[in-house]
Amino acid sequence: MASERVELLQGTLDLIVLRALDTMGPLHAYALASRLEQVADHEFALNQGTLYPALVRLEQKGWIKGSWQRTENNREAKYYALTRSGARALKRQADRWRRLAGLVEKLLLPGSAS
Amino acid sequence: MRPAAAEPELEREIDGHLALLADEFARRGLSPEEARAAARRRFGSVAHTKDLHRDSRSFVWLQDLRRDVIVAVRMLRRTPGFAAVAVLTLAIGIGVNTIVFTITDAVLFKGFPLVERNDRLLYLTSGKGCCLSYLDFQDWQRQATSFAGMALVHGIPATVSDGPAGSELFAATEVTANTFRLVGQQPMLGRDFTSADEQPGAPLVILLRHGLWQRRFGSDPRILGKTLLVNGRPGTVVGVMPRGFSFPQNQDLWIPLVPPADARRDTRDNWFALGRLADGAGIEQARTEMAVIGRRLGATYPATNQGRNLIPLVSTFEDFFIGERAGAVYRAMWGAVGFVMLIACANLANLLMARALARSGEISVRMAIGAGRWRVMRQLLVESVLLSAMGGVVGWWLARWGVAAYAAAANGWGVSEQNVGVWFMNVLDYSMDYRAFAYLAAISLGTGLLFGVVPALRLSATDAGGRLRHGGRGLTADRRTRGASWLLVAAEMTLAIVLTAGAGMLLRSFLAMYTADPGFDASKVTSAQVLLPRARYATPELQRAFFDRLTTELQRTSGVETVATASALPGWDLSPRAFEIDGVAAPDTRDRPAAGAVTISSEYFRALGRRMSTGREFLATDHPDQQPVVIVNEQFARRYLPDGAMDRRIRLYADSVPDVWMTVVGVAPDIVQRRDLQQQDAVLYVPARQRPTAGMWLLARGRVETEALADGVRATLAALDPDLPLADGPMVLADRLARNYQYRAVMATSFALFAAIALLLASLGLYAVMAHAVSERRREIGIRTAMGATVVDILGLVLTQGMKPIAAGIVGGIAAAVLLGRLLQAEFAQVTPSDPAMLAAASAILLAVSIAGCLVPARRALTVDPVTALRPSD
Repeated sequence: MASERVELLQGTLDLIVLRALDTMGPLHAYALASRLEQVADHEFALNQGTLYPALVRLEQKGWIKGSWQRTENNREAKYYALTRSGARALKRQADRWRRLAGLVEKLLLPGSAS
Repeated sequence: MRPAAAEPELEREIDGHLALLADEFARRGLSPEEARAAARRRFGSVAHTKDLHRDSRSFVWLQDLRRDVIVAVRMLRRTPGFAAVAVLTLAIGIGVNTIVFTITDAVLFKGFPLVERNDRLLYLTSGKGCCLSYLDFQDWQRQATSFAGMALVHGIPATVSDGPAGSELFAATEVTANTFRLVGQQPMLGRDFTSADEQPGAPLVILLRHGLWQRRFGSDPRILGKTLLVNGRPGTVVGVMPRGFSFPQNQDLWIPLVPPADARRDTRDNWFALGRLADGAGIEQARTEMAVIGRRLGATYPATNQGRNLIPLVSTFEDFFIGERAGAVYRAMWGAVGFVMLIACANLANLLMARALARSGEISVRMAIGAGRWRVMRQLLVESVLLSAMGGVVGWWLARWGVAAYAAAANGWGVSEQNVGVWFMNVLDYSMDYRAFAYLAAISLGTGLLFGVVPALRLSATDAGGRLRHGGRGLTADRRTRGASWLLVAAEMTLAIVLTAGAGMLLRSFLAMYTADPGFDASKVTSAQVLLPRARYATPELQRAFFDRLTTELQRTSGVETVATASALPGWDLSPRAFEIDGVAAPDTRDRPAAGAVTISSEYFRALGRRMSTGREFLATDHPDQQPVVIVNEQFARRYLPDGAMDRRIRLYADSVPDVWMTVVGVAPDIVQRRDLQQQDAVLYVPARQRPTAGMWLLARGRVETEALADGVRATLAALDPDLPLADGPMVLADRLARNYQYRAVMATSFALFAAIALLLASLGLYAVMAHAVSERRREIGIRTAMGATVVDILGLVLTQGMKPIAAGIVGGIAAAVLLGRLLQAEFAQVTPSDPAMLAAASAILLAVSIAGCLVPARRALTVDPVTALRPSD
């Protein structure tokens, strides 16, 4: 069960992370994970550690950039911010997702298969 | 992020994350330990996260590269013609480069095969460049601290026989017992020499070269302990050296060098010393120390160690065996072939740019939707590196074939003009090893990046918006791309002109040597060398008697017209000997005039087909107890005896010790002695009957073909002394002289080949760019034609566009060629630095090509209906 959820999330995880950074500004991994839980409306939608492979992927593609800063509690954490190419990628991915979602939705309408 | 930093960075981040989680749980009311435990659970497996992180890190990079390669392969398969041309060009360029590198590496850098650290071995002789005395060597060995050890070696001919089968002549080297230990090699069979073997009176022991053991003794493992006669002395074979080892020359066996019993400081024999630098010592340090030692010996033994014998000459492998000048030429060849590679790269860059231009629409779109500039560049670079990698693979096979062919030839004629002849053949190892492979890989990668970077930069820097506005096809290049094309072409032309000029100089230098007049007809004379072993012909009387009998017998052989002997052949450099003319005071006793001296028999000049200018040749009556006589050549007479040469008295000096006075009895025509066959020097001729030597060259002039003559010489010699094989020859003198310029021939041909390739490539590049420039202006040409322009007008229009880079290329090429000329002039002095014929030819070719590059597409453009041309570009 849990692995199914993780797989599904991996495809859209990029989109969600980018969107979160877009709306909320730079976040560190813990804050991101918390935000994801809020959005997913579950107490533990995924293990917080699985965020890291996605983060490194996005960073290698140049869509987000990490920098070390201090939190309010004076703990040090790595904050990730959206880059310009990341903003463009977000728009692309969002469009693609919407088109895909729209297509699936249309197919699921009663009588569309005929 | 650097991979090494990634792991600790991740740790730091995870720690921070866990801390924040623990804070949260603590705030909810858990105890610190509970909070930490809950944080860990919430986070999940740290190890698993790290693994996934690590995989993602490398995977992305690799995935992208794999995708780029697949796309590149697909692109190339779509245009197989272009790919084939590109790969072929690269294969030739890379292959030839690797061939030249392998050869230059073998000749200049690798040194002797199977010797440890060639670069730490130095070669020493007395200051004159030849010979040294045993006592001096011992002092050097004892006193020098910058050398870990020194050895002495001496090349000698060795008549070897293993019983009734008769004797054969081989080359041998006498070595001190520590020699092989010094060079870091030991016999693969048997034992090395020990200090016991080099004691006077010790039994003779022999070490065989692997090749000899294989050829002559069939690799018989029972060779150890076998008795061989070497120069008449029985010796025992104690070992065989490993295959491929041949130090320091092309000898077949080694014997111990026993210190001469009557060693005197003023007898300098024709051997040289070698030393291995001590750890931490450098060549400059060694030179300085040897100079100090030399001066110290000069102070202790002022009678023998002074003047040119004072400071020892310390040379590297390259200085000693190859020669500085040849080294320069090999390096120049390497440079030349590098030029060819650069020209090929420039062409490929232009080609790739034109090709990518066709895809520039797609590239612009890609960049508009967010592909970074680096990603686009990376794709183009992967394409170019892929092409050059394929070129490298084909080039490797080409190189292997080329090096094998060269090695087969080079091992037959030696390595440079300094080392022409038998003594250095078959010594160097020309095989392609890991160094050649590394070089090829580096060049392949380098050229791929080099010719890919310009198109990649240009294409990815374009204004995407502007491109798209022009309809998204982008078939025309913008100004900066065109500028890059022209710059490349101008560079190509410069390089091609320089190469052509260089080749021209070398060709002329070779031709000068080839067509030089040696002063006699060398095709009718057979030459062979006889070296009398000291054991059986110890005294001058015996030596003279032998050669007298030999010449008499040979004279009687059918087909022989004239026979003579000489200590040196024409075309052989002579060491200058100081002399004094009776009645002419020398300006300084330390600085006497010097000339080469040759010992000759009577009828020497007749054997060469020349007559004396004045006076007579040596006669049989010029006995040792008669008045000493001498012959001078015309150069000598002109320079030193302008008031008449006959009956003047001359005497030679040997290390400041004067010899007897000799009377001039004849003036001979100039016969060339210099190895480059081009200049006549002053030469003295001394009669063999009055001063016989053990080693003489036979010259036989014949009526019949030289093949039969050679057999006659061999037969006569065998009849006189069956145990005395010929040291060298018999060979027609013309062929022997040809060996002198073989090295130059090879160099000249190589350069000419490279220059031709360079010109061809540059022409192709120039033509392509010009044609492209013309076709880009098709519309404009159409309009102008409609308004009445002629072919000439159009030509002029297009040529002015290309005038700047063409002019730049030609001017740059000529300037660089003049510079090169000055550099090469040091090597081949007879050649004029800026050979206007060659430069004019190269420039003319390139100019003609540019005009053709305009004409052909211009004519095509002109035949197009102006209306069609005026239509909006589709």
